Amino acid sequence: MSFPNMLYGRVLKSPHAHARIKAMDVSGAEAMGAVTLTPEEVPDVTYCPRLVSIPSATYKDWKVLTDKPHYVGEAIGAVAAESEEEAQKALEAIEVDYEVLGASFDALESMKPGAEPIHDEIYLEDDLLKVENNVGCQLEITEGDPKALEDADVVIERTYRTNRRYHNQLETKSVMVRPEADGGISVWSTTQTIHNTRLLLHDIYGIPMGKIRVYKVALGGSFGSSIHVNPVVNVAVGLALKSRRPVKLSYTREEDIRDHCAYQMIFKLKLGAYKNGKLAGGRLEAYLDIGAHQIQAYPLLGCVVGWWVSLYKLPYKDYVGKAVYTNKVPSCAFRGYGNPQISWVVETMMDELAGKIGVDPLDFRLNNYIGEGDIFWGQGPSVKSIIQSCGVEEILTRGAEMVDWYNRPNPEEQTGRYRRGWGVGRGYHTSSAGAPVPSSIVDFGGAMLKMNEDGTFDYVSALMDHGCGTQDAHIKIVAEELCVTADMVNIIRADTGTTVYDVCTHASRGVYSGGGAALKVAMKVKEKIRDFAGKILDAYPHAVRIRYDEEREQAVVFAEGIEGREVTYREIAETARHKNWGTAAAVESYRQPSCPPHFTGYFVEVEVDTWTGKVKLLRVVAGADIGTVINPMLAAGQVHGGFAQGWSMTVLEDLPYDPDDGDLVNRGSVANYKVPTTMDMLDLDDLTVFFADTYEPTGPFGAKGIGEGALNPVAGTVANAIQNALGVRFFQLPITPIRILEALREKEG
Amino acid sequence: MEIEITINGRKRRFDVEPNKLLLNLVRDELYLTGTKYGCGIGECGACTVHLDGEAVLACMVLAVDADGRSVTTIEGVADGDKLDPVQEAYIEEGAIQCGFCTPGFIMSTKALLKENSDPSEGEIREYLKGNYCRCTGYVNIIKAVQSAAKKMQG
Repeated sequence: MSFPNMLYGRVLKSPHAHARIKAMDVSGAEAMGAVTLTPEEVPDVTYCPRLVSIPSATYKDWKVLTDKPHYVGEAIGAVAAESEEEAQKALEAIEVDYEVLGASFDALESMKPGAEPIHDEIYLEDDLLKVENNVGCQLEITEGDPKALEDADVVIERTYRTNRRYHNQLETKSVMVRPEADGGISVWSTTQTIHNTRLLLHDIYGIPMGKIRVYKVALGGSFGSSIHVNPVVNVAVGLALKSRRPVKLSYTREEDIRDHCAYQMIFKLKLGAYKNGKLAGGRLEAYLDIGAHQIQAYPLLGCVVGWWVSLYKLPYKDYVGKAVYTNKVPSCAFRGYGNPQISWVVETMMDELAGKIGVDPLDFRLNNYIGEGDIFWGQGPSVKSIIQSCGVEEILTRGAEMVDWYNRPNPEEQTGRYRRGWGVGRGYHTSSAGAPVPSSIVDFGGAMLKMNEDGTFDYVSALMDHGCGTQDAHIKIVAEELCVTADMVNIIRADTGTTVYDVCTHASRGVYSGGGAALKVAMKVKEKIRDFAGKILDAYPHAVRIRYDEEREQAVVFAEGIEGREVTYREIAETARHKNWGTAAAVESYRQPSCPPHFTGYFVEVEVDTWTGKVKLLRVVAGADIGTVINPMLAAGQVHGGFAQGWSMTVLEDLPYDPDDGDLVNRGSVANYKVPTTMDMLDLDDLTVFFADTYEPTGPFGAKGIGEGALNPVAGTVANAIQNALGVRFFQLPITPIRILEALREKEG
Repeated sequence: MEIEITINGRKRRFDVEPNKLLLNLVRDELYLTGTKYGCGIGECGACTVHLDGEAVLACMVLAVDADGRSVTTIEGVADGDKLDPVQEAYIEEGAIQCGFCTPGFIMSTKALLKENSDPSEGEIREYLKGNYCRCTGYVNIIKAVQSAAKKMQG
């Protein structure tokens, strides 16, 4: 994107993991003609960049520009100049005097007495809170009788540590801001929510909402990294308001990798089971390394326990979750929002427990899974609903048949260089944060639809499509309801000024929740079409029927059995115009009454080279229950991509820090952050994806989500396959060749 | 430095600094923004264009090195409103999710099919290994390349 008279912005970032700025001299940059922005020049507002939770559940510790940076890469200043090169030169001319403070890079270390406090005070809504032991927030939940766990025949307790992963979305975080003559601004940015972007900019800069226009633009991947308003957006607005010129600000890849990452988690999990193959209960301690700021740590603490207790029936459950500050890049949602992490742990331990009580791991899962009629925690303890559709059994039994599960290898019988193993893992994710009652999470959307004078339709929605095919699904839902072809429904480019509120494209809610709004608005427009048609045909609106006429390429409304009583949409719209009846149009908001889980299950075969420690994929069978499959090809595409990201999480990705200078060990280079290429994935013939035959009663035409469930079970499944090959379990991700070789050396000498 | 490059069939003259990247020339001066910046270090392939018919990474080529040569970007692939068979195949096979890597993949695919009109799956994977996609797991991309090869063979 570009505009006439546009400036290029660059952000001045802290080179220290924790410091106080004693002085900043921007005169050198200004002498070069650059517009500069310092912490004193932006509103002194402490905010949370993610506005999905209600205010009483929103912790705030961010500033647009800070004079006390808490991680390498935090924004402390900015410049705008005529070219990116000039802006960079101006940035380098700014002189900053720092007082360097102590820093911590590990969640457990950070909580210890004597560790440097990272934030002294933060806000919860408008209340000032004192931070103790660097714990930003915490959550404790207990249900059931602890005796259940005490009476268990087998109990396992282990500590697990997940990796720190970078989204590596192809498009780096970017924004264009244009100041408008009326004092407002227009914004084009990498975002999953245009309305929450507007809300935050209003909160920070005090511009009336109607004068902030945030436009939908295509997004080059996101995977949760733009549920929150990215820091570049708030900085660029400051630059544009000061310079009164359009400002474009795009992060380089090296900046982007120091901008966001997934939550690294440390779990202490205790699970108990009875000899009869039933789970007794469990206790989970979760320490979330949230980095230097809270983006959505508190709701995540709720989700972690929710994901844990919704996989399998636990008569007793006890949970303590702590979100711990460290001097690292702030963590945010990454496809699955904690679910891939906890599912890896639970699925690993389920296999181990099954082994101890002598039950097949697949049967153990079938004995204990949470399914139809059970309570599901869709987004932590405040978002619950009853499961009304469940394909778990179909997924597991069909998959088991396809891979001849019960004849898989025995690790103890394998001794050669190459060893093969099969793993099973299951998971799910919520579809939206809908529920019968309000919760601490906002989840509703909306849409507008109107019939054009040629019998086609314009559909307008604030819901962002990241490339998951969400808007394609909406179009199909609208077209199905109105009995027209999909190409007769146009998606209109939109912004905050032309749409009603939609919370965000996240939580696998695009098809289920957003599609619910699309269906509701289509039903309203259909009612109006029936009314108009009733008048024209002299028939009762509720009695007329609608069909699509391929010859006329029009939907036709007709009174059944009465010859000649039919009229096309085009004729209806024309008549309505000529007779001044108005437009068949509607605008609706919609809140889903449920948060149905979409279920997934994987069977994976790997081959481990015991000489090099390399793990090779041999075969994958993936089953998914997503209710009615609206976009079969694109839904399968979600499974393919989810699997690849899960595979990458299991064996490749991590972002270690150099404690000497607090920067990433890879210095921001993606050459040293490997993700899978075409060569790392398996051949087409070795991958099978199938969908369970289910129907979700609350979903649009029976549909549920798929985006996140596609990823969540993968790490557990692959880890179990590696165990089946080697007879070794791993308690830290990623399972790298070095870790495999070390484990083999320990086991076999 | 004064240079002359034929971009998508049109001869254009530029006065550029010697360190100007072809990627920046194409995006910032010609507004051909279908060529994407993904990493700037030749890791991701999002900036793949053709230089005299060969696939190159525009972030790794200096504009002055394209002097007197022919550059094709994704914008030069379709024949007016008629999409190239490779573009059609990517759409039909659902090989596009967020779409950010797609122009680079299509340019690499075209170069592959020019060299090898009937590549095996292994050859496709080998040729496209420098193009990186975070969304698709490559499954539908491989299918699209196979489908495009069939289309082009008629």
